[in-house]
Amino acid sequence: MIQIKDVSFEYEKAQGTLSHINLEIRQGECVLLCGESGCGKTTVTKLINGLIPHFEEDGTLSGETTVNGKCVAETEMYQLAELVGSVFQNPKSQFFNIDSDSEITFGLENAGVAPQEIKKRFDATVNALKIQSLLGRNIFSMSGGEKQSLAFASVYAMNPSVFVLDEPTANLDADAIETLRQQIVQIKKEGRTVIIAEHRLYFLMDLIDRAIFLKNGKIEQIFTAEAFRRISDKQRVEMGMRSLVCPKLELKEASPSGTATGLSVERLTCAFDKQPVFRDVSFSVEPGEVLGIIGHNGAGKTTLTRCLCGLFKESRGTVRMKGKALNAKQRNKLSFCVMQDVNHQLFSDSVWGECELALWDCPEERVREILEAFDLLDFKDRHPMALSGGQKQRLAVATALLSDKQLLVFDEPTSGLDYHRMREVSHMIQKIKEEKRIIIIVSHDFEFLSQVCDSIFDMREPRTERS
Amino acid sequence: METSGKKHRLKLDPRTDILLLILANVVAFTQRSLWVEIAWVVLLLLLIIACGCEKAAGKLTAAFGICLVLQYFIFPNGPKFLAASFTFLVSYARRIFPCLIVGTLILQKTPVRELMVALRKWHIPQSLIIPLSVTVRYFPALKEETGYIRDAMKLRNIRGIQKLECLLIPMMISATTTAEELSAAAVTRGIENPAPKTSMIVMRFGIHDYIFLVIGVVFCVISMMVR
Repeated sequence: MIQIKDVSFEYEKAQGTLSHINLEIRQGECVLLCGESGCGKTTVTKLINGLIPHFEEDGTLSGETTVNGKCVAETEMYQLAELVGSVFQNPKSQFFNIDSDSEITFGLENAGVAPQEIKKRFDATVNALKIQSLLGRNIFSMSGGEKQSLAFASVYAMNPSVFVLDEPTANLDADAIETLRQQIVQIKKEGRTVIIAEHRLYFLMDLIDRAIFLKNGKIEQIFTAEAFRRISDKQRVEMGMRSLVCPKLELKEASPSGTATGLSVERLTCAFDKQPVFRDVSFSVEPGEVLGIIGHNGAGKTTLTRCLCGLFKESRGTVRMKGKALNAKQRNKLSFCVMQDVNHQLFSDSVWGECELALWDCPEERVREILEAFDLLDFKDRHPMALSGGQKQRLAVATALLSDKQLLVFDEPTSGLDYHRMREVSHMIQKIKEEKRIIIIVSHDFEFLSQVCDSIFDMREPRTERS
Repeated sequence: METSGKKHRLKLDPRTDILLLILANVVAFTQRSLWVEIAWVVLLLLLIIACGCEKAAGKLTAAFGICLVLQYFIFPNGPKFLAASFTFLVSYARRIFPCLIVGTLILQKTPVRELMVALRKWHIPQSLIIPLSVTVRYFPALKEETGYIRDAMKLRNIRGIQKLECLLIPMMISATTTAEELSAAAVTRGIENPAPKTSMIVMRFGIHDYIFLVIGVVFCVISMMVR
């Protein structure tokens, strides 16, 4: 049983303040923490797994949290680790080994469990979570979904009675979300407590016992599963929550190749070491049109975007812009990709400097105009890294427009965003549309795609797996 | 990654690997006799072939052969400037071959976790092993990051000297966030537990480990004796 008694917490720098939280969670319950970004749901998870107060040192905490009768603040982290297991948002930064087997046993080895017992737990974990396909692998060759599955397994191996999941699906596709769902079903069946902070809700609807809606660091409302399912669409949009049902895509298919005014992709094939990643991809996009690209992990979406941007050479096929065939180098000059992790593409020490870097002799007027359009003018002297995620994304787009790129590709622009922030991204895309650029969005987020896209291209054709 | 055909392959204890690497170094820099060197290299090549690195062994053999041919046939007979400028380079390149061979074996066939267990068995303090293992884990991550940043630079037309700065800044920023997230994940998995660490891998010296260590020591002695 978890008890949070009148807990308030204030960060010195970051957002996520909590005030007077009271919550009781029974053993075996599955509880959803929901609300907009910055509402404090991650902070609540940290109260339970002990990162507050043990890891976040600069903050002020009052009140008391207990897990199975133990006071979190007075229990050492390594003792809590045996009670509470945590899975975090970013699959990249929660493993410590290069091979998957070591990762699963890592927690047990830390606790000094006897070798035979480790072996037993290892086998039990593999069987319960059905992760045979992950064994003996190099973690760096795994997809985000596989990494997250492995993180889950390595927590499971430690046999905690409480699982804390902090936005575990932020970077996952539909298949990986289904795998995670199955894993949650399994631990629920075993009577473990699950506390999950999430934006994506549809996959949890039949799993949760209660939903706790937080707003500005306070518990606004507690729903029973029944009441939560009954929330109307209008109400959930007001609450800033993502769709409660699995969103469907009902858009027209991408037009066939051959446009003379926009981008025409004709029987494009890409291969790694002669192993085709995708074959004979064909479609057209007109200026001012937004095309969404969907497909499973490993269908070659990333390779396709890299190829379109001229970062990867096709092995067959043609890409035409306004009827003219372009090679990789020419495409590189004309295109820009807004990456999933936008931190990789901001280089200057100020927003203004970032724009100057985009085009040396760009008239000041134009820079102002673009920054104004993307609500960045007030921040022109800020360091790009001090901006919020959405602002960084808009800045990257601004640089692309300044250097007059015709084709803009977005790689998962809405991963881990709440409803309102997703709407902001939609608005930004509307603005680029007005500039008559060609826009391609690669995403798993059907709710978002159905709002912004004009047409959809599905890379569904099954292809040989590459290792 | 691992293939199933590894059953009949020779598998050395990681501690033997580390000791052999040290011995290879000693032999490489003390021996003066070409025949001792060739015998040592051939033996080590046979060892890594037995362990399953046939491909790498082939490449290394070819490279070693080229060095020998260069030094004993091309340089004495070829133009003077060639010998003058490359003798030094080639003879030193040849010298590090034993280390290269053992290094290849470690890199290709020894999982990092086994190396860590080996270090633990030698009672190297945990405060040294953890940073070491995280560092090793960080190299592939760094490679991934650089790939993304390179792509980003190409899309922004960043050229020349600017590139270095533009590579370093995003890399450092991502390194700090990664470090933060990684250590949060580490403490929730009980990395601070003072209990002595255990491991699922049972590690034992086999007969072949002793054989190779004895051979290594013998070569060390020979290389110091034969002048």
